[in-house]
Amino acid sequence: MSNSMKEKSWFSYYLKSASGVVGGILVLIMVMISLLSALGITPHDPLIQDPINSLQGPSAKYWFGTDQFGRDILSRCMDGMRRSMTVSVTAVSIATLVGVFLGVLGGYFGKVLDGLVVRFSDVIFSFPAILLALAIVNSLGNSSTDTSIAIAVVYTPIFIRVARGPVLSVKEMDYVKAVRILGFSTPKVLFSHILPNVLPPIVIQIALSMSWAILTESGLSFLGLGTQPPDASLGLMVSEAQALAAFAWWTLAFPSIFITIAVVGLNLVGDGLRDSLDPARRSS
Amino acid sequence: MTNPLISISNVTISTTDDDRTLVNSVSFDIAPGEAVGVVGESGSGKTLTALSLLGLLPRGVHVTSGSIIYNGNDLLLADREKLRTIRGNEIAMIYQDPMTALNPVMKLGVQLIEVIESHDGDSSSATERVMTAFAEVGIPDPKRAYESYPHEFSGGMRQRVMIAMALILSPQLLIADEPTTALDVTIQQQILALVVQERRKRNMSMLWITHDLGVVANLVDRVIVMYAGRVVEIGSVNDVFTNPQHPYTAGLLSSLPKASDINRTRLISIPGIPPKPWTVGNSCAFSPRCERADDKCRSSLPGLSQNSHTLAACFHLMGGGA
Amino acid sequence: MTLSITDVTKRYKIRVTGGQVNALNGVTIKLSVKETLGIVGESGCGKSTLARIIVGLEQPTTGTVTWDSQSIFDKAKNMISSKHSKIQLVFQDPYSSLNPRQKIGDSIAEVLKVHKLVAKQAISDRIGELLTEVGISQELAHRYPHQLSGGQRQRVSIARALASQPDLLVLDEPVSALDVSVRAEVMNLLIDLRERLGLTYIFISHDLSMIRHISDHIAVMYLGRIVETGPWEAVLENPRHPYTRALISAMPDHTVVGSTTYQAPLSGEVPDPAAMPTGCAFHQRCPIAVPSCSVNTQDLRTIEPRHQIACQEVK
Repeated sequence: MSNSMKEKSWFSYYLKSASGVVGGILVLIMVMISLLSALGITPHDPLIQDPINSLQGPSAKYWFGTDQFGRDILSRCMDGMRRSMTVSVTAVSIATLVGVFLGVLGGYFGKVLDGLVVRFSDVIFSFPAILLALAIVNSLGNSSTDTSIAIAVVYTPIFIRVARGPVLSVKEMDYVKAVRILGFSTPKVLFSHILPNVLPPIVIQIALSMSWAILTESGLSFLGLGTQPPDASLGLMVSEAQALAAFAWWTLAFPSIFITIAVVGLNLVGDGLRDSLDPARRSS
Repeated sequence: MTNPLISISNVTISTTDDDRTLVNSVSFDIAPGEAVGVVGESGSGKTLTALSLLGLLPRGVHVTSGSIIYNGNDLLLADREKLRTIRGNEIAMIYQDPMTALNPVMKLGVQLIEVIESHDGDSSSATERVMTAFAEVGIPDPKRAYESYPHEFSGGMRQRVMIAMALILSPQLLIADEPTTALDVTIQQQILALVVQERRKRNMSMLWITHDLGVVANLVDRVIVMYAGRVVEIGSVNDVFTNPQHPYTAGLLSSLPKASDINRTRLISIPGIPPKPWTVGNSCAFSPRCERADDKCRSSLPGLSQNSHTLAACFHLMGGGA
Repeated sequence: MTLSITDVTKRYKIRVTGGQVNALNGVTIKLSVKETLGIVGESGCGKSTLARIIVGLEQPTTGTVTWDSQSIFDKAKNMISSKHSKIQLVFQDPYSSLNPRQKIGDSIAEVLKVHKLVAKQAISDRIGELLTEVGISQELAHRYPHQLSGGQRQRVSIARALASQPDLLVLDEPVSALDVSVRAEVMNLLIDLRERLGLTYIFISHDLSMIRHISDHIAVMYLGRIVETGPWEAVLENPRHPYTRALISAMPDHTVVGSTTYQAPLSGEVPDPAAMPTGCAFHQRCPIAVPSCSVNTQDLRTIEPRHQIACQEVK
């Protein structure tokens, strides 16, 4: 006779989270926009200038209006969103792979290896995040790849920490000891037993990191680092719009809205994941 | 019972959010100077019942009906101030984990002084009273204990401090929720000897909650057996242990190894697991696991009724016995 | 096939104070095949440390543990030698002994695959056999641990341990965390398995009644040493060491109802393993101690066939 409970997948819990659902919709919109841009499907070519129609407000032809060169703001926003998403995904992927790898190894093996891992992440932590990203981009060069690397470096220690902590407690669990006694090799123990049980905080952190990455990419390009004109970047567009906003509000409003949607959307997805993956917070 | 010290009648406890019943219509009395044991497994509702006496139910759980009459007052209707004056002073409680009952950043002596000061106005002789209390519970160096913090003491010693704290105002009723379960068996014996001694001295009533039948057998006068939120059997400890009438009680007792059994015969186990109280409809909660169950058991609820040995809630009593 | 534990000690350094904890102070056990050894003791006696050392989770500070004259731990690979999946451990806590993210059938399948014990096509059948062996319905193979009760989880843990076809099962308080009405079922299962599969057990518990029920031979531990060992009837009916006698009389007995006297047989507390008493570890609490007890450490000596105690004062 079993004491069975209906097995609810994490997804059904996720759907119960208001933040998760709203965030999920926003993120889906962002992803679709980025895909369309990547495929070249934008209302106009983001680089083509139309000087006669420069600084026109939203119209039937240019839904979000035009910038100082007559370029379609909507198309440029879509392009910018694609760049932000690409940087974010690249950077966070690298940070996750490197950070989780180091965190798991340090946490599981302890002693000298752990000491090195912790010192390494302490060194990076000791720099203020934005400044470090700035410094790295500045020295590497101004492209999206360099921005990705900069963000990846800054975020690796966070993944080290997010992975290492749970590993420290999971490795003491009886079920881990049981499979060691059963003679399982260390890689098997790490992949089949430790990693699956430390995933939730990592997954949540991925969502939150992507949110921050988009903000940082925008911030860096706002400062003139990262993506260079004439390429479209949301941060760059905001920077250029500073002088124009007083009489051409659409040059500032739309890029800002896109940045906001991306950042808030990913943040809410992080909340939704937290609500659905953490057994303690689940409402039954 | 005439003139009980405390009388619990039809107390039902449910969750606040979704109205799941956790304790279902529990009734029993405790006479002055009597020790009553409540035995049951996890989910039986024994701890919640005890907590309800002092209005200490956790958040999300509340008493939905019934009464708890103490000294002519219904404790369930009493206001906070009234309950506060009773707690510690007239009804005291000791718990399984002294570390959660004792403040880790406060000296032990001061914690007992606090108990005195929050009830009696008179704190002039408080320090002396604390020293005496420590000595009475067998703490070897009361002066040192007064100045110590909980973490400096062992589990057994902390339990003694908790008992001192509970008894310092000479309560009429001591409620104990598994206070010796986490202790080594030789230390448990010391604590039980202390409790028995103090009870005799003060003629104090006791409500002792445990899942350990061996402890109960030599500690209390009467036993209440709880299962899935209900009382299923009540009787003197002798009757319940030597002639249990409810199949659950009988099954529990026969599943334990006996020290007198030279042949180490196979234990008789009860198949299945206890149900959650709120999933049991109008039927005997034990029927799915009971050999003697029939359709009547599955479709109607047996009430507590007196038989030749005990009060038991069953349509097919074990019978037999001397 | 025998388990040989020879003069095992285990010391832990306390980093903060620089002191050390003597968890085990010279334990020697020779276990014959198909025998069940019950190890009983209270906190600080070292029984759980001993269990971990026997299965290879920890290394003794000094002394050796061998199975069939071979060491359990493979120093070269720095892991428990997989040959020695012949010694398995069943843990106390049914809630942490199974991977919460693995279906229980998969937990067992994993063992079969790692040890290549069964051909791929036969794995599913073997899982079914093992679950049936421990009294679990085969349908439950698709469930996750949190969908099972404590008693069921403990059975699954036993099935997983059996999957590697062990000769020796170390059981560390296997029923202590279960509800009272469920314990009998698991105890009966363990006894049945022992008969059917010819297993050797080391059964560790603080509960003398369970130890009594299942053991052929009993070892009583106190502060890292064995103070008495012998056949179960000898140790329980005729205990000779003062600690064993105190332990037995402290055991709650539900068959003896309403005895009016309640006397604690033993005063004081177990000394801190970081501050071991000199001489016999028990002398401070011992009712028959003499001055020389605080000087001489006691070794086990035989007083009857197979019955040994570590006490100079018992004749």
